[in-house]
Amino acid sequence: MDFKIKIKNKEYQVELKEDGKAVKVKVGGKEFVFGSNKGLIEVQATTKKDSSKEIISSLSGVIIEIFIKEGEKVKSGKKFLTLSAMKMENEIVAENDCKVKKILVKENQQVKEGEVLIILE
Amino acid sequence: MQIEKFKTISSTNKKAKEMSSLGVAPWTVVVSEVQENGYGRKGEAWYSPLGGLYFSIILPRGNIEDLQTITILAAFIVAKVIKESFNVEPLIKLPNDVLLNGKKICGILTENVIGSDVKLSVIGIGIDTNIENFPIELKDIATSLKMELGHEVDNEKLLEKIITELKNQFKTISE
Repeated sequence: MDFKIKIKNKEYQVELKEDGKAVKVKVGGKEFVFGSNKGLIEVQATTKKDSSKEIISSLSGVIIEIFIKEGEKVKSGKKFLTLSAMKMENEIVAENDCKVKKILVKENQQVKEGEVLIILE
Repeated sequence: MQIEKFKTISSTNKKAKEMSSLGVAPWTVVVSEVQENGYGRKGEAWYSPLGGLYFSIILPRGNIEDLQTITILAAFIVAKVIKESFNVEPLIKLPNDVLLNGKKICGILTENVIGSDVKLSVIGIGIDTNIENFPIELKDIATSLKMELGHEVDNEKLLEKIITELKNQFKTISE
């Protein structure tokens, strides 16, 4: 079951799943598992992110050109964007076949190392 | 030293990237007498008529810091080789240009292809060696060795010296 919760004007996407005796709740990329034997007291939090779904900048620099559009299906090796960083031009390419869900940056935008550039489906 | 020579090519960097993706060995050099679509940073055109020295080197796979270092070192190496060969005083305009008498004589562009890691890297170097004149829009900002020295220079010798020095420097930073 998917739903949204609004807390102090911020909206959170929540995914709820029953898995045997456990209930899995996914909020903002984090998954929490609630065991039924001890009610909701036993909580196991996992922070593992599916990084393959996000294209993260490994360098700080400036986006020069974006070659893809949201919703576009992309083949492995296709150029997502060019990032000018550390005195070099860096083509960021698709590792696998994928579909572009959201582009979070614009041309000429300054980005930091670790910043999410693109979200894939 | 493996050198792939062309009379005319779109861009030596473009060709070197294609060759590298097909598995051509590191340190292979692509050199062309003319580039039809030579480019520098941010896709800006690099004037590449007959007479100049335009080449790209397929770099060994390295970490991004080593690649940045080699890019900066390349400007020093080009300036050093020009100074030692022709007894002139080039000036390095970091990170990517070499000037002579206040005008650009060389441009350097390193390009990396990055997926989950660095897939390939090439460094392209364009030197205005035997160019006799520049279009009006470049006259005030570019010069050539021939224009400054009053005689032609040997492109092949210059190429060999620069590559040998670059290879030696790369060894020192990546070992």
